Amino acid sequence: MPQSPIHAVHEAEGARFVDFGGWTMPVQYSGVLAEHAAVRENVGIFDVSHLGRFEVAGPHATDVLRQQLCNDITKVEPGRAQYTMALNERGGVEDDIIVWRLEKDRYWVMPNGTNSDEIVARFRAGVGAETTVEDIRDSSVLFAVQGPKAADVLETVLGVVPGRFRIIDAEYRDTMVIAAGTGYTGERGAEIWAPLSVASGLWMDLRAAGATACGLGSRDTLRLEMGFPLWGQDLDEDTTPLEAGLGWVVAWDHDFVGKDALLAQKGNLTKELVAFTTEGRAIPRHGYEVTTSSGSGVVSSGNFSPTLGHGIGMAYVSPPMGDEDTLTVTIRKDRVPGTRVTLPFLDR
Amino acid sequence: MNYPEDLKYAENHEWARLEADNRVRMGISDYAQDALGDVVYVELPELGAKVAQGDPFSEVESTKSLSDVYAPVSGSIVEVNDALEDHPELVNASPYGDGWFCVIAADDPSELDSLMDQAAYAATLD
Repeated sequence: MPQSPIHAVHEAEGARFVDFGGWTMPVQYSGVLAEHAAVRENVGIFDVSHLGRFEVAGPHATDVLRQQLCNDITKVEPGRAQYTMALNERGGVEDDIIVWRLEKDRYWVMPNGTNSDEIVARFRAGVGAETTVEDIRDSSVLFAVQGPKAADVLETVLGVVPGRFRIIDAEYRDTMVIAAGTGYTGERGAEIWAPLSVASGLWMDLRAAGATACGLGSRDTLRLEMGFPLWGQDLDEDTTPLEAGLGWVVAWDHDFVGKDALLAQKGNLTKELVAFTTEGRAIPRHGYEVTTSSGSGVVSSGNFSPTLGHGIGMAYVSPPMGDEDTLTVTIRKDRVPGTRVTLPFLDR
Repeated sequence: MNYPEDLKYAENHEWARLEADNRVRMGISDYAQDALGDVVYVELPELGAKVAQGDPFSEVESTKSLSDVYAPVSGSIVEVNDALEDHPELVNASPYGDGWFCVIAADDPSELDSLMDQAAYAATLD
């Protein structure tokens, strides 16, 4: 099973590992709650080298991205990043993706690790001879530095701090690395691409500058507090961005795979994602059943919110809930009332 | 990992300590707290509740999962560790001390003989 290029560093850090999307990656070091708090209050670092990354370049690269992805990459200038999705013809989400627009016609596309091979293949099948599609995952690492004090760490180690969704080159030990002001936690910070030659040193220098080592366990509780979807739980091939409440990711003024299906569905949803909280420490979890005044559903993601101190969850319900409808979640044998809320759970 | 010699252990990773008057204090083992990860909630039984050896009677929720806790002996609940309500992390910090779950007045303390001693329990974890 593939693992991080700096797996040995994580072992030395005392990490525990988990199989995630076919990769063996750190799930925790000191503990999920401590790591979660470090990111919310201070700064943490995640190794997210399992995430896919491939370059699409050439004179028609922009057209390829506009056709393959439902957001419109021309809405952002070179030097900026965008959140987008690859849909199937039914409008279902094959993957949600971050794109770095490095130059006018040169992009780094970053799918989820578990979907990377399929998305690379999809792009390769969809381009002509003048467009190159090159998988660059195995020759690099990707670290996320996140938290209110992330800027201090980035300044110390890289000498630069990217703004939100900005991409900047930086020099580290005479080697070029790239930092983008993105993440998956709701905090300020950056995701840093670096070649393998400097990977271990960069991790250790970012740690030495004050970042707490964090695993995928706290990454999951952090993203859930922000209501960010996890592909495979909150998004999948049978769910459209409209059903997921992510209509803002769809740019309607261009053609893309899945657009016809979305147009047909617009204003006529049969299921929708709702967010809810539970009182006390009874915790909704993935797969638990939900009952609404007018229908039913299933929890797609749920956990204990370390910051809020109670349960939080997202569920797909059918039919969509009316304003007056109430919701309960079945936690073991008990039907626990849920309070519907708008995302994010945590203001940032 | 630490498994004190004066305790008995159940296959589901509970520990039990026989105290005076056939009272049995119980909790979950160091192995269990470590495997669960950060404990965020413990649902304790009601005082006075009757429990039967081997039956699930309590739940422990961590950031990772929800797990049943099984009664190491039959009897009635005579004490519960109220501190866990506000400080479930005591289970991680001190599984055999401040992180105890409850005290059961055992109907028949010889039931403890069916549990494992320290050596046998540690051997199951290798």
